[in-house]
Amino acid sequence: MTALTSHLKLLEAESIHIFREAAAQFRSPVLLYSIGKDSTVLLHLARKAFWPAKPPFPLLHIDTTWKFHDMIAFRDRTVRDLGLDLIVHTNHEGLARGINPFDHPPSVYTNIMKTQGLRQALDAGGFDAAFGGARRDEEASRAKERVFSFRAAGHRWEPRRQRPEMWTLLNGRLGKGETVRIFPLSNWTEGDVWRYIAQEKLDVVPLYFAAMRKVVERDGQLIMVDDDRMQFLPGEQPVMRKVRFRTLGCWPLTAAIASDAADLDAIIEETLKAKVSERAGRLIDHDQAGAMEMKKREGYF
Amino acid sequence: MRLAALSEDVLTKVLPVPATHTGAMVKLLTCGSVDDGKSTLIGRLLWDSSAVTQDQQAAVLHASHNRAVNGERIDFSLLLDGLQAEREQGITIDIAWRYFETPNRRFVIIDAPGHEQYTRNMATGASHADIAILLVDARHGAKRQTRRHAAICDLVGIKKVVLAVNKMDLIGWSEPHFRTIEEEFRKLALSFGFTEIVTIPVAALTGDNVARRSSTMAWYDGPTLLDYLEEVEPRAEPLDAPFRMPVQLVLRASGDFRGYAGTVTSGTIRPGDRIVDARSGLGTTVRRIATMDGDLASAGKGDAVTLVLDTDLDISRGAVLSEVPRRPINADVLEARLVWLDETSFDPEMGYLLRTATDLTPVTSMSVQALIDFESLAATPAHACAVNDIADCRILLGRSTALDLFRDLPATGNFVLVSAIDGATVAGGVITWAQSGAPSVGDNVFVLDRALLARGLCSDLGDSPTDRAEFHRRAQEAAILLRSVGVPVLVEI
Repeated sequence: MTALTSHLKLLEAESIHIFREAAAQFRSPVLLYSIGKDSTVLLHLARKAFWPAKPPFPLLHIDTTWKFHDMIAFRDRTVRDLGLDLIVHTNHEGLARGINPFDHPPSVYTNIMKTQGLRQALDAGGFDAAFGGARRDEEASRAKERVFSFRAAGHRWEPRRQRPEMWTLLNGRLGKGETVRIFPLSNWTEGDVWRYIAQEKLDVVPLYFAAMRKVVERDGQLIMVDDDRMQFLPGEQPVMRKVRFRTLGCWPLTAAIASDAADLDAIIEETLKAKVSERAGRLIDHDQAGAMEMKKREGYF
Repeated sequence: MRLAALSEDVLTKVLPVPATHTGAMVKLLTCGSVDDGKSTLIGRLLWDSSAVTQDQQAAVLHASHNRAVNGERIDFSLLLDGLQAEREQGITIDIAWRYFETPNRRFVIIDAPGHEQYTRNMATGASHADIAILLVDARHGAKRQTRRHAAICDLVGIKKVVLAVNKMDLIGWSEPHFRTIEEEFRKLALSFGFTEIVTIPVAALTGDNVARRSSTMAWYDGPTLLDYLEEVEPRAEPLDAPFRMPVQLVLRASGDFRGYAGTVTSGTIRPGDRIVDARSGLGTTVRRIATMDGDLASAGKGDAVTLVLDTDLDISRGAVLSEVPRRPINADVLEARLVWLDETSFDPEMGYLLRTATDLTPVTSMSVQALIDFESLAATPAHACAVNDIADCRILLGRSTALDLFRDLPATGNFVLVSAIDGATVAGGVITWAQSGAPSVGDNVFVLDRALLARGLCSDLGDSPTDRAEFHRRAQEAAILLRSVGVPVLVEI
């Protein structure tokens, strides 16, 4: 066993431990399933934690209606194949107001369709704990998160008042009005996620693999034209380019990268050599300084 | 080379190697007093070991330019201080987790805040670390907060410490100065259980002896910080440690499946091994070690598994499965050293719960015996304890629970203290002594009542609030002393 496969085993065991602690301590957990590679690993670990029983909680997907079509197909197939419960929630109020990623700034769109949508769904389901696939290596404010991340009433994150979390002792006792977000992948890196997907032979959304896709170049970013709701700017012409995605979100706000990496080995090599960080392709993170922290304070996971 | 590690033959699933095998992952803590340069040191380490991506570099260069706190230099602390309040105030509030790898190992870096106000966050970080890098400013040497951090590192079980004497550039790279600081630290460290102390002169801002050997300090022939981190063995585990697995959940599934899920915290287990539930004393044999990847031939420290037993024991979450000969203590009286984390001070009238590996036990009474003095590092008698204090305590539990002494088995010998009112984690501690007290209350119970106490032990006390509190404290203390020698006691005052 090499050092690197052995550290994956350690990470796996740590995540399973976290899932079990949460299931034992919370009344009504839910797993935020956002279909991407991190959610794929998260779901796989949840299955391992409770095997041969099924995970004792449903999956929740916040559907903004702007996810890539391949993502929705993958979601439905996964849930069907594994026989899991899936709750799909859309902020219909936001939809009725015509909120969309082309006509509204990313911060407004994300707040309404993702953050508000998530809060609605968590409140409606009466969930006291929500698992998320966030990793500390993704972004500077996420590097500050606890594994059990407590949220005050209204799902607010108060980064200055985080609960101490010593050793592997996860204290899940909730104060009045509190809920908790749980991050079993806290100590995984992007490279770990891909190496684990390869090791466990997990299926992921095909958009992660390089292929010829219809894109436009906008402000130095490659935006894929996923359907006819695309709003072209004057002079913009879609072209076919060999691209793939490092992260998946709403298609108008998630940039592709030019890449030839068409299989897992190539992706892993590309990831380990990457010169820009993973979330550089997420347009919603760059809209304002400290954007991620602000979203988290508002209740984004 | 990394890709080769993913090929089929290497990835045989059922390997009898425990998850914590080898130094594959090293967790480092950086701590020390405020402004001694912790975030800068780590930022420099990441920068020089190419763990910083281009967009992150660009963002830091841009922000450094705006702040210009270090003149023309790059402000490396921006890589770590991810909260807006931290960037605005130029301080670290909460721990930051960073990851980087060299061909040999994965490093997890936990950057802890220096301010006394954020000690609870530092303690959180320290408890996850294998090795501590304790920074001191070469101009000042160890400060009170440095000693507090060293004491917390010791409390949570860190055995290896790097004393990084930083800002050597500001004392003209002076060796005598460095040696004095080194000597002083080695003296104060005698109070602790550290097994290895390495002292390195560095300048985080210029990078001297961080990842690159300093040319200005030719007198220093020890390792650079990165060299040391690449070579150090994270934690030595005794090979013959007794088996422990705190039960997290009982899993049931179709086909009459019933398994006890948990993470092995020490020792190894194989099908056919006899095990015992420490609390009830019930024993049985392990039939299977079940996982989704198939049954295992053995499981060791760090492995998350599900044990299927020959005869089902009537046990649930909170039980500790153990080997038969060397069992945990089924304790209801214990002594502990703890660090108080909550802004609300210890209050003997408050309800607390003792959270051990997977059990949650009500605390019947608790008393403070001594506090660590951060000047002399000696334990001095005390009865109160407040935020950031390190205290020695005696705790009486409402029922017994399975425990080990921290120095023997850390993962079943540590705990956090939880407020019964709002769920807050108020303290984290380690068990230094434990004993199973009296059997459950029966006819032979000794009743400590008000009249009895007022006649003697508390005859000097009046009716003021202070005196009443002292009356209560003495009653609890007397009860703990009596129970610790096996007398069943009920306090009725």
